[in-house]
Amino acid sequence: MTKQAKRITKPEPLHWRLKLVVVFVCAVFFSLVARAAYIQVLEPGRLRHESDMRTLRTTSNEVQRGLISDRNGEMLAVSVPVRAVYADPKMVFDNNGFADMRRWQALADVLHEPVADVVQRVQENPKKRFTYLKRQVTPEVAAYINQLKLPGIYLKAESRRYYPTGEITAQLVGITNIDDVGIEGLESTYDNWLTGTPSKQKVRKSRDGRVVERLDIIQEGESPNDLVLSIDQRIQQLAYRELKRATEIYQATSASLVMIDVRTGEVLAMANTPSYNPNSRDQLQSHRMRNRALADAYEPGSTVKPFVMAAALQSGIVKPGDVIPTSPGWMRIGGRQVRDGVNYGDMSLAKILWKSSNVGISKLALQMPIQQLLGTYQSLGLGSYSGINIIGESAGLVQDRHRWSDFERATLAFGYGLTVTPLQLARMYATLGSGGILYPSSILKLKQAPEGTRVLSENVANEVLKMLVGVTEEGGTGTKAHIDGYPVAGKSGTSRKAVAGGYGDDYVALFAGVAPANDPRLAMVVVVNEPKGDHYYGGDVSGPVFGKVMSGALQMLNVEPLPSHEVVELAGSVGGQR
Amino acid sequence: MATKPLNLSRIVLQDIWYHKWMILLGLAVVLNAVAVVYTSHISRTQTSQLDGLQQERDRLDIEWRNLLLEEQSLAEHSRVTRIATKDLDMERPSPGKEIVVRLQ
Repeated sequence: MTKQAKRITKPEPLHWRLKLVVVFVCAVFFSLVARAAYIQVLEPGRLRHESDMRTLRTTSNEVQRGLISDRNGEMLAVSVPVRAVYADPKMVFDNNGFADMRRWQALADVLHEPVADVVQRVQENPKKRFTYLKRQVTPEVAAYINQLKLPGIYLKAESRRYYPTGEITAQLVGITNIDDVGIEGLESTYDNWLTGTPSKQKVRKSRDGRVVERLDIIQEGESPNDLVLSIDQRIQQLAYRELKRATEIYQATSASLVMIDVRTGEVLAMANTPSYNPNSRDQLQSHRMRNRALADAYEPGSTVKPFVMAAALQSGIVKPGDVIPTSPGWMRIGGRQVRDGVNYGDMSLAKILWKSSNVGISKLALQMPIQQLLGTYQSLGLGSYSGINIIGESAGLVQDRHRWSDFERATLAFGYGLTVTPLQLARMYATLGSGGILYPSSILKLKQAPEGTRVLSENVANEVLKMLVGVTEEGGTGTKAHIDGYPVAGKSGTSRKAVAGGYGDDYVALFAGVAPANDPRLAMVVVVNEPKGDHYYGGDVSGPVFGKVMSGALQMLNVEPLPSHEVVELAGSVGGQR
Repeated sequence: MATKPLNLSRIVLQDIWYHKWMILLGLAVVLNAVAVVYTSHISRTQTSQLDGLQQERDRLDIEWRNLLLEEQSLAEHSRVTRIATKDLDMERPSPGKEIVVRLQ
């Protein structure tokens, strides 16, 4: 054995090697710890940032405009989410988007547009960053476009408003523009209430796109509110149908109808013709979009006579049993003439309304101070807003001046020289039905009746109501508004339309009334504007509409009809005063 | 001098007993860490579930809106009236022909 071999067989620690290994291992550990400390403690920001870039997302929820429904929950306006297709031309060009023209063909097909048009719109200005290709496409079409994977073509969420009832409630509900902003009717009036804003939230998403952590809310959203109207769509539909029929038969320029719940002041129906289809925006005409029931004021003609009677009874210048001489059927006031169709001779108060005598009512008006009459008109809501709060409402016109000629005082009593909207007139008749209490009108469904103001004493209101029952009975001016089973207290009216310098050949035919007269529930006004042809009297043109809509409405509201002998008795009790 | 034989396990136990609070605290720290991991896992699963449910809700809401439109167009009053009068030969009785049934 050599000396060297001997040394190897006898093992002893190689100190320098051991040290090397230990130092090396320690260095590895130390560098690991140092690196970890560096990442965790000294410079944590960068990796956090990298992680956040991959997982943090901002989500915003889509908010649909609030629903509008009638009092029974039938939908009048519903928003449905749709998509807008837009292009970013710069992105299209940068990514060589026109490489595969088959995809563009497919896109054009699904948008129902020629492919040349679509391509041209994108190529028009290659530097542009935004151009709409099509708005309001259905989600199905949107999903298809998404699958085409065209570079630079994107989808944006928007919503489309549908009006299931179409032209029946068109003017009342109004419409929104393409950007979902209300521009007409209730959509415009309650735009803020109906519009919600989306909330934006920062979230952390996992690899498969699910939200695993909600961080903070960037923008607090506002949820939209729904609108419940006081309208009863069953009545509204009936009203519109009858109104449309009358407009066609009499070739009227327009027609309006308002029905009010006597006990609460809620509007149950408000229809106008001609109407339009709010679901297609292509053919909107402003004259069809007017809510004439509250935007247009007419001279009310004889329909205000009951309120002259009420003013006379209220001030005590006549009593229910009084008789007014109207012979010889005309009277001369300040050089002008007021006349009736025939000489009715001595008339009871009820008969004045029953036969709609201009002379009789003028005599009553001349007996009281002008301020008394104007005061009664104004307290019944003439010349002021009804409280319904819809954009475009007219307040009508009652002149407030000190000097009135006698003739003007007389004309005021049979409905000339002042204008009212159909809604105001309906409200006045509702006041007769509620025993003299005037309620603010409401287009929103109310939980309880609002506080009304007493403007006529209960006796006077009931007395006038009783007198009006005769109008729709045999011999009255409104027999066509008669309803089987329900006594109607109504009044017809016909007024000539004023033109520059006097009165023209056009008429406004009105019928206003309350039913059932024994226990009033509904007040309604029908106004037919400029009927053409031989028939233009309120009782002939508007009366039948009144009768049909009122009888249908009372049936729908389950109002119990009176047995026919009781109706006759009620009418007879008025007949005693004739 | 006779040395007492050392009982190693006894010493170890004594030592453990002496440091009992340390060990307990150490254990608590470990348990706490596990609990944090566990709850954050639960929270993430639940959040993800919530997200799924909300998406489902939005989908159902959209479906509801579309069904609502369909229902409205099918139940439109003039359509019902037309079917009742034309196809089914029904008519509305006039108020005079109505019979009132009173519920006691």
